[in-house]
Amino acid sequence: MVRERRSRNQSNSNQGNVHSFYKALKESNDFEIYTLTGKTSCVISYLSTISEIKTLNESILPTLKGKEFQSLEEIKANIPVENIRISEKAEDIKDRVLNGHIAIQMSQKDKQALLIPAFSTKGRKVGIPEVEFSVVGPKEAFVESLEVNVNLIRKRLHTPNLIMKEVKVGTVTSTRVAVLYIDGIANPKNVQTVIQRLKDIDYDQIIDSSFVTQMIADNSNSPFPQLLDTERPDRVTEALVEGKVSVLVDGSPHALTCPTTIVEFFAASDDYFLPWHLATVFRLIRLFAVIFSVLSTPLYVAILTHHHEMIPEELLATIISSRADIPFPPILEVIILELAIELLREAGARLPAKIGQTIGIVGGIVIGTAAVDAGLTSNVLLIIVALSALASFTTPVYQIGNTIRLIRFPFIIGAQMWGLVGVSMVMVFYIGHLIKLTSIGNPFFAPLYPLRFTDLKDAFIRLPFDKQSKRPVQTRPVESTRFDPRETNKKRDIDE
Amino acid sequence: MNKITRSQPDANVPENLLVTPLFALFLINAMQVGVGILGFESYIAKDAGYDSWLSILIAGAGIHLLLWMIYQILHDTNGDIVSVHREVFGKYLGGFLSFIFSIYLFLLSLVVFRTFIEVIQVWIFPRLQLWFFTAVTLLLIFYLVHGGFRLITGLCVISVLLTLPLLLLKFFPIQAGVVTNLYPHIDHSILELLKAAKTSVLGFLGIELLFVFYPFIKNPNNSKKWAHYGVFLTICIYMVSALASFIYFSEKQLEQVTWATISLWKIVEFPFIERFEYIGVAIWLYVVIPNICLALWAASRIPKRIFKVKQIYAVACYCVLLYIGSILLNERRELEFLNTFANWIGFYILMYIPVLFLLKKLRGIRRKADE
Repeated sequence: MVRERRSRNQSNSNQGNVHSFYKALKESNDFEIYTLTGKTSCVISYLSTISEIKTLNESILPTLKGKEFQSLEEIKANIPVENIRISEKAEDIKDRVLNGHIAIQMSQKDKQALLIPAFSTKGRKVGIPEVEFSVVGPKEAFVESLEVNVNLIRKRLHTPNLIMKEVKVGTVTSTRVAVLYIDGIANPKNVQTVIQRLKDIDYDQIIDSSFVTQMIADNSNSPFPQLLDTERPDRVTEALVEGKVSVLVDGSPHALTCPTTIVEFFAASDDYFLPWHLATVFRLIRLFAVIFSVLSTPLYVAILTHHHEMIPEELLATIISSRADIPFPPILEVIILELAIELLREAGARLPAKIGQTIGIVGGIVIGTAAVDAGLTSNVLLIIVALSALASFTTPVYQIGNTIRLIRFPFIIGAQMWGLVGVSMVMVFYIGHLIKLTSIGNPFFAPLYPLRFTDLKDAFIRLPFDKQSKRPVQTRPVESTRFDPRETNKKRDIDE
Repeated sequence: MNKITRSQPDANVPENLLVTPLFALFLINAMQVGVGILGFESYIAKDAGYDSWLSILIAGAGIHLLLWMIYQILHDTNGDIVSVHREVFGKYLGGFLSFIFSIYLFLLSLVVFRTFIEVIQVWIFPRLQLWFFTAVTLLLIFYLVHGGFRLITGLCVISVLLTLPLLLLKFFPIQAGVVTNLYPHIDHSILELLKAAKTSVLGFLGIELLFVFYPFIKNPNNSKKWAHYGVFLTICIYMVSALASFIYFSEKQLEQVTWATISLWKIVEFPFIERFEYIGVAIWLYVVIPNICLALWAASRIPKRIFKVKQIYAVACYCVLLYIGSILLNERRELEFLNTFANWIGFYILMYIPVLFLLKKLRGIRRKADE
C-alpha cells in the first residue's frame, strides 16, 4: 500500500479558483452562502453541519452589522474570535471551510477570504477503557476526536519536547494523522521512517488507525501486528517516554505506538501498577496461557493420533472412556469444536451486549453439553478447547488475541500430519518468521533475538523500578538513561 | 594486499547484516551439536570403553587449538575462505579448493538431514512418506535460508536456548545408573584413547564454518572468546551426555545401542507424560534445522563468491540435490557409508586447517622478507 505517491491530485482542478469548489459544495443542502446586506456588504459561506452557528450569531454578525468595513483586514481586526486568518490560496480556503471555518469574502468574485474558526465539536465524551480495562490505574480512554486524544496525552506529559507533527492522509477523506514523539528521547530515524511512510500512503480513505497499521507495517502479509494499538492514554504516555513514536488518527479511538516487540503485546498496564513480583507472576501466567492456547489442541491431535504410547496408563483410562463412543478421529473432533468456538466468538462480537450473553449461555453450556451427550466430542477435548479459548482472552492487547486465534490452525494441521514433529516444524517456521519480522525497521523478536540482556528486565518478567534505570534498547533512544542507578541503589549499612 | 580486497568487493558485508560477536558462541555451538550427539557414545566406547571421556577432552583441546588457527588465518586476510584460498593458491587452484569446501558443506547438510530423517523413521514413523516429508522440510529450510544470515543466527540462538534444558533430563539415567562406572579404569592404552579421540573429533565438526561466516561478525576480533566459549559449551554437552550414558549402560550394552541419547530419553517419566523420546526427537528439530540451514547457507555462499552467481540459485540448486540425495539414500548400509565418507572428509578438512595455517604464516614471513 505504501508506494511512491503518484502525482495524481483530484483537487488540482480546483487550484487557483475558489469558485469551482464552491460550485461542488452548492450541491449540498447544508452549504450556506449568502450576501450580507447592511452597512457592510460581504459574502458569508460555511457548512452549517460542522460550523458553530453560535459564533456566527454572537461574534460575527453583530460586528459586521454594527459598522461599515472596507476591507477584510478591518473586519479581522474587529471580530472577537481568535486565530482568524486571511487567505488567497484556494486549497487553503477549501480545507478550512471543510473543517468548519466560516469564510467571508468582500464579493463573490474576490479571491481573498477571511477564515474564522467555528468548528462545532460533537462526539463521544471521554469514557472508561473497555477493551483494555484495568482494575487499578487511570480510567480514561481515547475518543474519536484527535484534539481530545492529544489533550489526553499532553495533560500527562508536561514537557515542551513533546512534538506533534500532522500529516494528511487519504486522497478523498484527507484524514488528519498526528505523529507524536518526545524530542531528545525518541530516535529521529524512527520518527522520520514513520512520517515518510505516512506520507507515502496512497489510498482514498483512512477510517481508523487500523488502516494505518496495515499500510505502514513492515510486512503487511504477516499475521502478527507490528504496531501496538491501544486505547489507553497512559500507555501511550509510557511508550513516548520510553522513546517510542505514537500515531493518532482523527476519528479513531485507538493510538498506535511503534517500534514494538512481540513481548510488549503480552504486557498489560496493570503490570506497572502492581508490585513487581505480583506483576511478574501474572505476566508469566499470561505467557503460559498464550502458549497453552496455541498448543493444547495441536498436542491433543498429535498425541491421540500418532503417539498414544506417551500417555501414562492412569491418564489413558480417562481419555479412552471419554473417547469410547466418538465416531470421529481426533482431528475432525478438534476442528468441529474449534470452529464452534470461533462461531460463538464471531457471533458474540457482532451482537449487542445483552443478546451476546444469551448466545454465550446457549453456545457454551447448551451446545457444549449436548455435543458431549450426543457423543460428538469427548469431554476431555471440550475442557481443553474451552480452556484454550479462555486463555486466548488473557492477552492484554486485542489484536494479538486475533493472531493467536489464527496461528493455532497450522499447528493442528502439522500435528495431524506428523505428530509432534509436525508441531515442531510449524513452530520453527513461526520462529523464523518472527526473527525476520521488523517493526519500523527495528527487530520485532527482540529481546530474544537479537539478544538484549538489558531489555529482559521488562520482557517476561518485570523487575522493580529501581532496576529499570535504562530505557529499552529496542527503540534506540537518543537519551537512554532514566536515572542514575548509582545514586538510587546505594547500599546502606545497618542503622544509618 | 589492497589489490586483493578491491578485486572482491563482495567479501565486505553491509553493516546492517552483521551480527554482534556474542553470537559466535551460538553459531559455533549450534553447528557443532547436531545429530552426532544422539549416538556418538557407542562409537567412542568401541575403542576406549569407559575411559573414552578422556578422549573427548583430548579432542576438545585439539578443537580449541584448531579454532585458534582459524582465527589466525582469517585475521590476517580479513575475509572468508575464498579470499584466503585466492591469496594462498591463486585464482584457479584457490577457487577449486573453495568449491571442494562448498561441496563438503553440502555433504555435511545432507548427512545431518538424512540422518535426522532416519531417526524419525526409526523412532517415530516407520512408515514415513519419505518424498513428502522431505519436500515439506526442504521448503521450510529454503524459506529459512532465504531469510539470510541474520535469521539463521537467530535460529541458532533459539536452538541453543531451547535445547540446553534437555540436558536436565540426564538426571533420570544418572539416578537409575551405576555411578561407580565412572571410576577411572585407565585400562586402555594411549593409542586407544587417541583413536577414540579421533572418533570424537567428528562430533565437534562445525568450527570450519567460521571460514565462511567470519566476515559477517562485527568486530570479529572480539568474537574470539565467544567462539571458544561456544566450543567449550559443546565439550561440556558432550561430556555430560557421555557420562550419563556410561553411568546407565554397561560397556557391552554401549556397543549395542545406536542412539544412546534417545534411548536414555525413553526412561524419562512424568505423571502426565511417558516415552519422552517423542518429545525429544521433535525438539531436536530445533537443533537440526539451524544446523542444516547454516551449512546450506555457507555451502551456497561460496559459489556466490567464486562464480558471482546469485546465492538464491545456489541454495535452490543445493536444495534439489538434497532432495534427490535423501530420497535415493534409503538403506541403512548406504547411510552408514555416507556417514563414514563425510566423516572421513571432515577429518581431513580439519587436518587441512593446520596446513593452511602454516602456508599462510610462511607467506606472511616471505612477504615481510620481500619488503
